[in-house]
Amino acid sequence: MICAILYGSINSQETMGMYSIETRDLTKRFVLYRGFLDAIRRSEDRETLTTLNKVNIKVQEGEVFGLLGPNGAGKSTLIKILCTLILPSEGEAYINGYDVVAEGQRVRESLGFVTTDERSFYWRLSGRENLRFFATLYNLPQSAVRARTEELLEVVRLKHRADEPFYSYSAGMKQQMAIARGLLNDPAVLFMDEPTRSLDPGAANDLRRFIKEEIVKEKGKTIFISTHQLDEAEELCDRLAVLDEGRIKASGRPDELKSGLPEGSTLGDVFCHYTGKASLEGHSGSGSGSFPVHIPRQRGRGRGMVGKRGW
Amino acid sequence: MIIFEKAFWFIKKGYMLQLSYKFDFFLRLFFMLFNILTYYFIAKLIGDGAAKYLEPYGGDYFSFVLIGMAFSGYLMISLRSFSESVRDEQMMGTLEAMLVTPTSTSSIIALSSLWNFIFASFRVLMYLIIGIMLGVDMSRANVGGAILILILTIICFSSIGILSASFIMVFKRGDPINMLLMSSSELFGGVLFPIEVFPSWLQNISHILPITYSVNGMRHALLQGYSVSELAPELLTLALFSIVLLPVSLFVFERAVLRVKAEGGLVQY
Repeated sequence: MICAILYGSINSQETMGMYSIETRDLTKRFVLYRGFLDAIRRSEDRETLTTLNKVNIKVQEGEVFGLLGPNGAGKSTLIKILCTLILPSEGEAYINGYDVVAEGQRVRESLGFVTTDERSFYWRLSGRENLRFFATLYNLPQSAVRARTEELLEVVRLKHRADEPFYSYSAGMKQQMAIARGLLNDPAVLFMDEPTRSLDPGAANDLRRFIKEEIVKEKGKTIFISTHQLDEAEELCDRLAVLDEGRIKASGRPDELKSGLPEGSTLGDVFCHYTGKASLEGHSGSGSGSFPVHIPRQRGRGRGMVGKRGW
Repeated sequence: MIIFEKAFWFIKKGYMLQLSYKFDFFLRLFFMLFNILTYYFIAKLIGDGAAKYLEPYGGDYFSFVLIGMAFSGYLMISLRSFSESVRDEQMMGTLEAMLVTPTSTSSIIALSSLWNFIFASFRVLMYLIIGIMLGVDMSRANVGGAILILILTIICFSSIGILSASFIMVFKRGDPINMLLMSSSELFGGVLFPIEVFPSWLQNISHILPITYSVNGMRHALLQGYSVSELAPELLTLALFSIVLLPVSLFVFERAVLRVKAEGGLVQY
């Protein structure tokens, strides 16, 4: 029996090591504040909101994994837990085999985080100064800071503007800078939270091309993208998961997800099928073909002339 | 030593951001001068009238108040700096990007405050230089003793500042530690007038405030040139405050970080 337990434990460790990202029954409940007394009351005695409910995800090394979901589905919460910014209420999560709760520093050494928030840089410092500052926080020695910063400025094609203040950059350049910062520590896993959200269609296409060519093909990183832009997910991701109301409703390759639906179904149909929600916000505006707009199947109010495939 | 490289970059970042707000920098210096001049003329008005109370500190009101104002700035910076650096980074939106790096939360908050302490030290230096230009006599100053007092003052005040930052992190606003200590230190800490003017029962409040020992120690070291052994009462009391407050504040801070991480409020303001 002891052997069986040990074997189980070793086997579990091995399985854990196979994946770049793995979650097991990951659950997050946020405590709701109703009044001042809640601040001093024990967490267990207060009302909670479940944002993630037993989420199980496994992402292989070198895979581009997309997380689809409407606003409020729990995408950002999941990414924040995986980046150690929030502690889970239950379950486990591992990045590169490291436990996000017990081995936070190891986890952060293994990951890069690309946020859409332009304010996450110091606007009055130049692009180069920003990258050097953050490179130091990644524990790079000064000799490596300079070389790594120059290399990444080259990669994101911003060397010619590197000494200009960050506030003078366009939205696309700011996003490129966010990617450069995410790659500073040469991470095994790169998290991207809606990477093209604030970009115009042209810049969004450029960025997608850049992610595909430079980060995936050239550098072979494991990428975890959270998005509600379906064409982006289809273009970039090897596998997808649909997250809604804190639960994984479906996961698989884009063609696998569509195969369960009538022939000719789009990812928009998949989204609608599993979430029962319209995906109006999913329009990328990239001009890469029309995008279906759905009325929820279960909650539709019959307002529009909408078929299952859209307008 | 990566920690020194980080410290260097945090200071450089603070310096570059400060340089980009030049007007604010000169405005602060300008009003500091106004403040000093105000007390210079109040001192002229007082003359020898308060000699009885000022005798233990060298006898001159302007010298007394200058040291009080200069070094109480450290208390203000220590109390506010940690919580304000968290809040500033939250509001600028840079905190999340820093917290996903391998640098620990406590290091980020401590390093973010470094520039504020350097700027406070620059202000103290300016106070002393202007004071000397206006006739304050520091020819007998025991600089070594003053540095010892300063180190213990920073450790002690920073511990209280870390407690204050823990409170702000969890409750976001309305920090009672900051409010209580700032106002009581100004009134009872012997910053603007000697505590000997209080009735003896009120002086008991002064004796439980670290600032009382800090500014008195500084006066004794800089104005009267007390030796380290003569400064022992202030040094030992500040050391005792530090020994008690530092571990308590670090423990409370660690608990506060865990709590806000569990509640998801680390990057909210």
